[in-house]
Amino acid sequence: MAADLALADTVAAGGPPGLRGYRWSPPALTLGRFQSATDVDLDACARWGVEVVPRPTGGRALLHGGDLTYAVALPPPAGAAGTVDATYRWIAGGLVAGLALLGVEAAVACGIGPGSAVCLVTQQGADLRVGDRKVCGSAQVRRRGVVLQHGSILLERLDFDETDLVVGGGDRERLRRSTVTLGELGAPTDPRVVFAALVQGFREALDVDFRLR
Amino acid sequence: MDYPEHLKYSNEHEWVAVDGTRARIGITDYAQDALGDVVFVSLPAVGTPVVAHGSCAEVESTKSVSEIYAPVSGEVVEVNAALETAPEQVNADPYGDGWIFAVELRDPAELDALMDAAAYRLMVEEA
Repeated sequence: MAADLALADTVAAGGPPGLRGYRWSPPALTLGRFQSATDVDLDACARWGVEVVPRPTGGRALLHGGDLTYAVALPPPAGAAGTVDATYRWIAGGLVAGLALLGVEAAVACGIGPGSAVCLVTQQGADLRVGDRKVCGSAQVRRRGVVLQHGSILLERLDFDETDLVVGGGDRERLRRSTVTLGELGAPTDPRVVFAALVQGFREALDVDFRLR
Repeated sequence: MDYPEHLKYSNEHEWVAVDGTRARIGITDYAQDALGDVVFVSLPAVGTPVVAHGSCAEVESTKSVSEIYAPVSGEVVEVNAALETAPEQVNADPYGDGWIFAVELRDPAELDALMDAAAYRLMVEEA
């Protein structure tokens, strides 16, 4: 998270747009900027060896470990193209193009599902779906004229999930039914292959010359 | 889009209502529309010194956290605590019940750098 913020600060200082991808070891449960720590079952996190990490971005609890996390930092387009919803959709164009290179036909989600302390249970315009199942959740922070968006692309499932770690995290089967991993779709799950596809997708769809970090 | 004539505006999309040496501040109709549904407002503490163009509050909308900047320098003397339980007022009534905080102006001359409604409307429409 600190590296993501440093990426945004570099762009705010006049640097080129940045893009990075990374994985988490040990697994981590990240909490949205204003999410209460009381949402977390700390004993369960300790039992599963999961670190709890605050995010600078909005949204709800998200488990990292079986995912590829991406972070992109860039100035938003001017005017109507720079609104929160428009920038989510703009950046989604890069994600969709990248996933298409992996044979995954993803689309922007359109606000379904009830509110929940768990990110993956709810779909919003910031997220990507395959069919009606979420494959990528994203969130933003905007500061000093830069949008930092990071998100999580599900590669594979761990032996546990948010329903084990979040107080009132809900039903495991519902979470599994509402999400899908690249592995379950028969797509590559090697994070280097997935990130390379994302880089190509971002460059083609957004027409931005990203510096890779 | 609404641009009340009696307000002053910053290029960071805040409005200022001046009453003597006190200024009430919120975000504009354009800004609330650009943010989407506001679900949380992080208010500054009363007594906090703020500097013009410095970040002094945050709002969350559709998983996006955005900074709110002080259009003028001064000290926070009042906050709209109702937003803690009803953040949607920022969308529903940005120039009224959705106000965010008030400051005691440190330098009223800073108001001269703000835009009137016509200039702000032009800035928004040309963007």
